[in-house]
Amino acid sequence: MKRIIALVVAGFLAACDSGSNPRQPSSLVRVRLQLNWVPEPEFGGIYAAERAGFFKDEGLDVEIIKGGPGVAAPQLAASGQVEFAVVSGDQVLTLREAGGELVAVYASFQSDPMGVMVHEASEFRSMEELWKSDATVACETNLPFVAMLNEKFGGKNLKFVPHQGSVAQFAANPKLAQQCFVFAEPVSLELKGIKTRVFPTSASGYDPYNVVIATNAQYAREYPETVRKLARALARGWQSYLDEPGPTNERMAAANPAMKKDAMDLAASKQASLITSADTAALGLGAMTSARWTTLASQLKDLGKIKSIPTATDVFVWSSALPQ
Amino acid sequence: MSRARTIVSLVLPPLATVLIVILAWEGAVSFFSVPGYLLPPPSRVAAALWSDRVDLLWSTARTAGATAAGFAIAATLGVTIGSTLSFSLLLERGIYPLTLLFQMVPLVAIAPLLVIWLGNGPNTVIAASAVVAIFPVIANTVGGLRSTDPLLEELFAISGATRWQRWTRLGLPSAVPSIVTGLRIAAGLATIGAIVGEFVAGFGGDVAPLGIVITASLREFRTEKVFAAVALASLVGFALFGVVSALSTLLLRRYDASP
Repeated sequence: MKRIIALVVAGFLAACDSGSNPRQPSSLVRVRLQLNWVPEPEFGGIYAAERAGFFKDEGLDVEIIKGGPGVAAPQLAASGQVEFAVVSGDQVLTLREAGGELVAVYASFQSDPMGVMVHEASEFRSMEELWKSDATVACETNLPFVAMLNEKFGGKNLKFVPHQGSVAQFAANPKLAQQCFVFAEPVSLELKGIKTRVFPTSASGYDPYNVVIATNAQYAREYPETVRKLARALARGWQSYLDEPGPTNERMAAANPAMKKDAMDLAASKQASLITSADTAALGLGAMTSARWTTLASQLKDLGKIKSIPTATDVFVWSSALPQ
Repeated sequence: MSRARTIVSLVLPPLATVLIVILAWEGAVSFFSVPGYLLPPPSRVAAALWSDRVDLLWSTARTAGATAAGFAIAATLGVTIGSTLSFSLLLERGIYPLTLLFQMVPLVAIAPLLVIWLGNGPNTVIAASAVVAIFPVIANTVGGLRSTDPLLEELFAISGATRWQRWTRLGLPSAVPSIVTGLRIAAGLATIGAIVGEFVAGFGGDVAPLGIVITASLREFRTEKVFAAVALASLVGFALFGVVSALSTLLLRRYDASP
């Protein structure tokens, strides 16, 4: 009997509680957002939007799913197992040819943060010197920038080895060159007392939207409003992260033991210039243009990564009706 | 005639199963219109095998070489360690449980360390292959040597046989069937070890080993080529298993024929 009374009371209290809550959880649209890497400042705006409640303001309940080396974020989004995923721009185009239609809805970076780092004591002063040498480079196999640099500088004598997803191998081997995000790994290494020299790959002329939020084409067609809301919340999130990254970094550092908060703070300040551009000034944070997508597609076609150039507006959507 | 019939009855059932699976796979992919990046039909896998045959052949050769080397190290070291342990109960008690570590430590976790210790390239790949393949050889060698017929041991003891004679004339011969079983298991494991080793340490480029072909094709969503490379990797395992089985049949036949 006591138990029944307790249950009734608990039920009553629960009813009162949900009644007094102005935001009813059930009315939120639940979507999953798959990251392609562990929580780091490259996702700062996403975590900031979650922390500040910008997703909820748009009526979205966004579940952020951590990624890591080898996570198949593009395939997960294309097959609808998650609604949104962080992918690189080239993957939107190459996956399309393999039968998976992705549509980019937000570009976190206007300039590609990809780079190749060497130890500061290394003899290489430029990407060209490195690429014409017989050095060992740890990078993901078949990245388009590698093909681009090979085309430009030869690269016949380089040895390519798999990227381990950490800086341990690089730290242990003073001769190794390794792919990196120009503001991430070099910063972590610097705080450990290892100085690096970084060559951004965008200088080679290959400068895709590298960190984009994408959904599958069917979802973009059926739920355009959800897509707009997510982009709007992300833009607000990124603005707040640009203004004050500290609290979000604290949250991300708790979710990623490999990168400490001080490293994230430093990385956040270094990446800011890649997030804003003339395009974002005119169209808002996260903006993408047909011209940039067409350039990327024709570069990938020249490199033999895709066979045909799709219509730009088929691979991305952008609504300029975003808060500035 | 009856021999031919036996071979047919041995070969036909697995062949029929494979054929049915392939047909069902082809049919299901087309019926449910599964996109190629998720699951390519076997016909596209075959097409990828054919169109990239030269590169894939070289890749297979590189993986097969590393697998054979890893297996050879595992076999030699495994039988040596297993035999040494069986010489003394103290050694066996002290060290055998530690050899279990080879089986317990997840290769995927230590593979990046192997790269740091041994560098990139074939050394790490061979080491990874040997590390996973060695345990069944040790365990089966120890097990085989331990299960010698006690009556025969007594006979050897009465006859005043030396330790060395007991080991070469009695222990090792009676352990052969067990060791062979260990080697057969190791053949499959050596291939898996080599592929994992290549994931972390294989050299990329034009003639990349199968492990690199797999990761590179995944990055480009060429799932049909992933399947092709996986099929070839399995073939390497099958081939090694076949060689070990053939050798063991010869060895066991001789052993059985001996009085």
